[in-house]
Amino acid sequence: MSAVTDPETPAPTDPLLEIYLERRANLVRFFAARSGSRIIAEDLAQELYVKLATRDQTITAENPIALIYRIATNVMLDRARGEARATARDAAWRRVAHASMGGEDVAEDIPADEAVASRQRLRQLVEAAGDLPPQMQRAFRLHKLEGRSHAETAQVMGLSVKSVEKHISAALKALTARLGR
Amino acid sequence: MALRGGVYSCDGPSHAPAVEGFMINAWRYGDDARRDDAAAWVVRLEAGDLGDAEAVTFDAWLSATPENAVAFDAALSVSHAYAAAGDEVSRNLSDRRVAPRIDRRRAVVGFGAMAAAAALAVVAVPQFAGPDTDSYITAKGQHRTVQLADGSTIDLNGGTRLTVNFARDGRHVNLAEGQAVFDVAHDARRPFLVAVGDRTVRVVGTQFDVRRLGGKLSVTVARGAVEVRPVAGVSGKAYRLHPGQRLDHVEGAVLTRVAQAEPAEVLGWRSGRMVYRQQPLSDVIDDLNQQFTTQIRIEDPELAATPISGVLVMDDQASVIRRLALLVPITAVRSGAGLALRRDTASVR
Repeated sequence: MSAVTDPETPAPTDPLLEIYLERRANLVRFFAARSGSRIIAEDLAQELYVKLATRDQTITAENPIALIYRIATNVMLDRARGEARATARDAAWRRVAHASMGGEDVAEDIPADEAVASRQRLRQLVEAAGDLPPQMQRAFRLHKLEGRSHAETAQVMGLSVKSVEKHISAALKALTARLGR
Repeated sequence: MALRGGVYSCDGPSHAPAVEGFMINAWRYGDDARRDDAAAWVVRLEAGDLGDAEAVTFDAWLSATPENAVAFDAALSVSHAYAAAGDEVSRNLSDRRVAPRIDRRRAVVGFGAMAAAAALAVVAVPQFAGPDTDSYITAKGQHRTVQLADGSTIDLNGGTRLTVNFARDGRHVNLAEGQAVFDVAHDARRPFLVAVGDRTVRVVGTQFDVRRLGGKLSVTVARGAVEVRPVAGVSGKAYRLHPGQRLDHVEGAVLTRVAQAEPAEVLGWRSGRMVYRQQPLSDVIDDLNQQFTTQIRIEDPELAATPISGVLVMDDQASVIRRLALLVPITAVRSGAGLALRRDTASVR
């Protein structure tokens, strides 16, 4: 709480805002996973800042980090879902198509090569998913590719939600290991 | 810089000084548990809101070390890539599974090239397995679909080794060990021959399943017809199998058994679903040992012979054993690197 402040920049006097600034990168990641888009995540992180700065100061929490994440969750929910999601999908695709893949930065292609690159990327995605063990592949496909919830996937496959979660996260791990290379 | 140092220290000095290099290395040499956690957190966050305690744990994990954040970002990027291309990937996966496309022209070109290369091989390297022989190997628990130059596809089950050699007189596959489903493109001039132990399976255009595990052979036909005959110098009868027929044979034995079988059931392993009808428990365990790396043994011969009927979904080994225990009173105990199955004396029925 008693962090040394630089006199040149106006330091936030609010401890919650201090924590927010410290954790901003984490919160952007949180929003990116929740919203499905890094671009929207930046907006949401900004919105969260505004919300924290203008909040009712009388509300306190035993754990300020938990409180920030709780408010972050509300910020998420406040966003109209349907439209935001559709935009997120498009934005995310355009972005990954020539910006980043498994953390590896890819140079921006000229438009003529872009089609080839995205076809190649698609092929890589298909091949990597196709090589997953069958159950893992099916769970990943039903959930991630066809948009079913974990519970729906579990029902279709006749498995517990927990096994479905395990399959999906094992699939994501395997795909990341392969595509991030 | 501190991050880079930390990552490189796993592997000593690196030859890739670029920023991309460090990303790649972080993955290749990164901690396996870290990747587990990164994927699990992405999946957890995507599934729904976090509770207070989970949120705090998530934040602490991300902050613990910069490598955690890098791992998280990598998994998230891959997840986003699939979410964005979900429909397309899904469609392409279906094509790949259900309808292997046969490009006639390419098949002919492939044949010409192969034949020429084969002829050359005879002159230059007069050995049995020439340079045209492709080997395909799967680890336990791994499935793989191979598309051959002629448009045929082979689905390999886990723990399978086979070689493919296209020659002028025929398409030769040698199944050394394991199980595979062959979907063979029609080519009357070049028969498709699968050598499996002391038998040869000959086919013109069909779908069938062949397996060879520990000297036991079995062939099941889904479409078309195949011929199973002893290899040269081995005595025994030749059989022509039609759809819905299954041939079982023990290597070295003269006798061969042909029975009715439901091809969809026999080929079910490709979708992780195994169907058993009055088959000994030892067969089920053979299948499990193909699907999972932890190997299971049964010492009690009477238990091994217990007939099993039912459908087993091959998701994870512990769950499969639990479901199997509903069919037959068994219990699994750790034994060395593997598991030993014993009769569960506690649950007498």
